[in-house]
Amino acid sequence: MAQRTLDRLLNAIEGDGRLDRPGHRLEQGFAFTENLLGITRGPARGFLHGVWLGHPLHPLLTDVPIGSWTMALVLDLTGQKRAARAAVGIGLAGALAAAVTGLHDWQYTHDNARRVGLVHGTLNALAIGMYGWSWWQRGRGHHLRGRLAALLGYPVIAVSGFLGGALTYRHQIGVDQADRQLEPRRFTPVLAERDLTEKSPRRVRAGDVEVVLVRADGRIHALENACPHLGAPLSQGWLRDGSLTCPWHGSQFELHSGESLNGPAVAPAPCLQTRVRDGWIEVRRAPAVATAPPGSTLVHQQEVQP
Amino acid sequence: MRRRSEVLTEVRQAPALRERKTATRVLVEHHEVLRGLMRRTQETPRSQPGRRRTLADELFDELWMHERIEEKIFYPATRDVTPGIAAAWSEHRQLSDQLAALVRADPRTERFDRELSVMHDALESHAHLDEEQEMFPEVERFMDEERLVDLGDRLQARLDTLRSSRRVRAVLRLQRALLRLTAGRARR
Ligand code: FES
Ligand SMILES: [Fe+2]
Ligand SMILES: [Fe+2]
Repeated sequence: MAQRTLDRLLNAIEGDGRLDRPGHRLEQGFAFTENLLGITRGPARGFLHGVWLGHPLHPLLTDVPIGSWTMALVLDLTGQKRAARAAVGIGLAGALAAAVTGLHDWQYTHDNARRVGLVHGTLNALAIGMYGWSWWQRGRGHHLRGRLAALLGYPVIAVSGFLGGALTYRHQIGVDQADRQLEPRRFTPVLAERDLTEKSPRRVRAGDVEVVLVRADGRIHALENACPHLGAPLSQGWLRDGSLTCPWHGSQFELHSGESLNGPAVAPAPCLQTRVRDGWIEVRRAPAVATAPPGSTLVHQQEVQP
Repeated sequence: MRRRSEVLTEVRQAPALRERKTATRVLVEHHEVLRGLMRRTQETPRSQPGRRRTLADELFDELWMHERIEEKIFYPATRDVTPGIAAAWSEHRQLSDQLAALVRADPRTERFDRELSVMHDALESHAHLDEEQEMFPEVERFMDEERLVDLGDRLQARLDTLRSSRRVRAVLRLQRALLRLTAGRARR
């Protein structure tokens, strides 16, 4: 029963095209602000996405308001006024940080996920307003009002938290979308070597796997063609300074390791090993090395023979 | 408003009686305008920073308008015909970011050249690899001619309105000014 209701709620949001216009407006405003602040091309970009962490930063921060505000509820019940206000305040700080990182991730989403994200964010803004008011009223000695606002705000973040969960589990936002195939296990010829020109990425197939080949600085690199963020064809991207930029949202992947340099992709693009035999470029999946740390030279080692 | 853009004059001098064009044709022709601007900016040497800057400004404005007519008219009308619309929106976002990076770069520096060349690649990736090679053929196949011509009229009319709107020009000038003002140290 509850499941049906929740499902219906989600479907209603996802199917509502009226959310697109305000969504795009908001995104464009946010984009302009980020460009003014120099975030889009600076280190803050990757930091806010959580590239340094290896997974998105936003979900981690959301635990702060949810936890603190739950605590505030308990402290309100036991009548500890000062502690309750502190809990509300800490939750607010966490919620603001979560809002910034959330917006930062949300701007690089599509269609249904974008709509769900917009509602998720709006509800959170509402909750922040309510808890902000609660905090302020408590400070002025109006504890009853403060408690009431917190009590009303709690279901709002609960619903919003559900939507946030749907963004991850249903829409796989922030999830590494690279398909972790093991194929091709053996070196497979994919392209005549002379057909790969310097600096223009080329899409090829190795069995079932789409691969993008890049010749740069005298080496041949191979990455899985589908971007680990939302699956854009990396072969339509562009090359700069040893990295390939995703055409959809601008994640830059280091050619020799596949590591994402700036986000929104927080996971690396899987690398394949390459070699040249009899004028053909061959690729294979690097054999899994259980003990090697990710990104180690052993895993990503490549070989180009003249 | 005195500094009349070069593209604008070229367009204005076109014969008054325009033949009707399909939407995709209108857009491809506008892509050519954008490519032309890009080429001329690239051909202008570093020793003429003023002209480089003017051309970059024009590119900023024209590309901005191009994105808006597509987003307001073309994409909504074709979203059931081709699956690539959401990605196209994202690519526009890339282009906007790159435009911002371009106007923030000092036209006397090497950085400007670098931003310009990324701009070139990003534009080709979206306008050529995505729209002209994938999206437009699909739209042409599945949409009937009359509808496409209708859309073409609307796109063209909207583009003309945007180009001659004082308000739009003022907003764009303000955007560029703000972007440059905040560029600060990032300019080198
Ligand atoms: S698909 Fe989003 S960065 Fe590649
Ligand atoms: Fe476009
Ligand atoms: Fe276009």
